[in-house]
Amino acid sequence: MTLLTIFLLACITFCTRYLFLHPKLPLRIGAKTTHLLSFSAPAVLTAIWVPIIFVKDNSFDSSLSNPYLLAATVAIITAYKSIETE
Amino acid sequence: MTFNRKHAYMKMLQQGFVAMLPLNLAVLPWGILCGSLAIQRGFSELEAILMPALIFAGAVQLVFIELMSDNVPLATILFTTFIVSSRHFLYGLALRDKFKNLPLRFRVSLGFLLTDELFALSGNRKAFVGKLRLIYALAAGGSFYLSWLVWNIVGIVAGNYLPDLTELGLDFAIAVTFIAIVIPSITNLPVLITVVTAGVLSVVFTLAEWELGLVLSSLIAMFSGYLTASKQATLKLKKGNES
Repeated sequence: MTLLTIFLLACITFCTRYLFLHPKLPLRIGAKTTHLLSFSAPAVLTAIWVPIIFVKDNSFDSSLSNPYLLAATVAIITAYKSIETE
Repeated sequence: MTFNRKHAYMKMLQQGFVAMLPLNLAVLPWGILCGSLAIQRGFSELEAILMPALIFAGAVQLVFIELMSDNVPLATILFTTFIVSSRHFLYGLALRDKFKNLPLRFRVSLGFLLTDELFALSGNRKAFVGKLRLIYALAAGGSFYLSWLVWNIVGIVAGNYLPDLTELGLDFAIAVTFIAIVIPSITNLPVLITVVTAGVLSVVFTLAEWELGLVLSSLIAMFSGYLTASKQATLKLKKGNES
């Protein structure tokens, strides 16, 4: 039963990844949509990392005692500096 | 000639591997967490190995392990998986024009390998276009797959000796990886607006415990960035007409 469930979950993740790569899908993406989709990487990745930093046990934590926030601040400054030096 | 081509292929393999290397290492704690948690929650070794090998998605694996050990009904597990995975639709859409005319084996392989991390490497307009860049993508995605599998197996093997790792803050590894990808990509106002909108909304939706929040906040953020860019373009045009 567990094996079957794992197989089903594998199908779901694969389908969500593959669906729009399939050529037979009747869908044409225009210039505007392409431009819109160019914002998808920063949008999705940010929507993943920001809650990890700020949400602890279902409440908002922006205090200085939040270790994630301190470490994230260092990471953001380092990442920002890395563009300047390039 | 053939030697040169072979040489170019090798070079792209190497470059893809090198580009993905930081991310391959950054998912080490996350992979060990997934593998060890599966064992600690009572899954067999085979099941624990098949999860990274077939599902190949950390968030889904983690949700599945927790839900399954809470005896949640199958329909709920499948639905939650679909919601957690639905962000991949955006990646597929964004890469559709580059991938849709590829031979089946390339399309299916890249589709299978299309994780957050591989998508993050596709930021450049030219990324993954042409055979050499495809080899680069396959090397990057393939090495990420192998790393994910190996880190999970380390977790599975060590699972019985490790304490419960869920409280150790290993999810920070994911956050810091994405910070390192996103922050340098903020080179103009539209992207900045996108990032700020996504950040604020995702926190609000997470606090509201809304499963669809990730996709919804991403979509609204994308529109905000897009509208900012359009607005900028119109203003520029106006200015050009006036002068």
